[in-house]
Amino acid sequence: MDKPAPTHQNKTPTKPEALSREERKKQLEFQNEAVVHLHSLYNYALHITMNPDDAEDLVQETYLKAYRFFNSFERGTNCKAWLFKILKNNYINRFRKNSKEPGKVDYDLIKDFYHSIKDTRRDSSEADTDYFHSLLHEEVYQALHSLPEEFREVIQLCDIEGFTYEEIANMVDSPIGTVRSRLYRGRKLLRVQLEEYAKKYGFNTDKDQ
Amino acid sequence: MNCKVARVLMSAAVDGEISFNEEKGFLSHLSECKACCEEFDDAKKTKLIIKERIIQFKAPQTLIDSIMQLTNCNT
Repeated sequence: MDKPAPTHQNKTPTKPEALSREERKKQLEFQNEAVVHLHSLYNYALHITMNPDDAEDLVQETYLKAYRFFNSFERGTNCKAWLFKILKNNYINRFRKNSKEPGKVDYDLIKDFYHSIKDTRRDSSEADTDYFHSLLHEEVYQALHSLPEEFREVIQLCDIEGFTYEEIANMVDSPIGTVRSRLYRGRKLLRVQLEEYAKKYGFNTDKDQ
Repeated sequence: MNCKVARVLMSAAVDGEISFNEEKGFLSHLSECKACCEEFDDAKKTKLIIKERIIQFKAPQTLIDSIMQLTNCNT
């Protein structure tokens, strides 16, 4: 006697399939929204850790966390800013504890760092007659690193990464007015440092007229 | 506007984060204050130097691969 075969095949998708479809959607969105900022994140991580291995770890960890909590990312806001905030928190938790004293600049470290990875640089637009343009990347970098961290941080986020004041304020947990004044004071300090370098190389930095 | 107020607005003016009304006052102060005018030029230049002279690094391929894998095969 033939029994009708059980008809469980062509029903609604089983639970695991449904889940994985959801998951796939999330992956795709994550790639479009978050993974596209990989180079920026790595660049920033490298500049704050000054160590390629640490930078990779930091970025890995950031993406793992970001993926896990991707649902809490507010759609329509700047995903890059969201990732930077996660990266920053990771950095504070993992690296800053055992880092050097604040305010001390390890020039040898910067020099080594620059020389070791110079070849991988992405951009090197040269050529200008202005005395500041005679400064080497390394010197500008040293000048930046001679600033107290709270100033260096906002300058990096604003001038290199192009975040808005509001995004920066959120990242550094301070009001916009604080971001404004840190940028103002930071740039002034930086200017003094850069002029020192320029003078060292015999450029006349006095204003004419 | 005096120099003190102008300096508070200086970075916002450099970064295009200044409101229309603030900018009007700021620019009119610059037109009559040489010191602030020079400072403004310096600040703009400093931003440019950082933008141009700090090397931007690309993530190594191994890292790219591992991030891609992270979002591909963990179902």
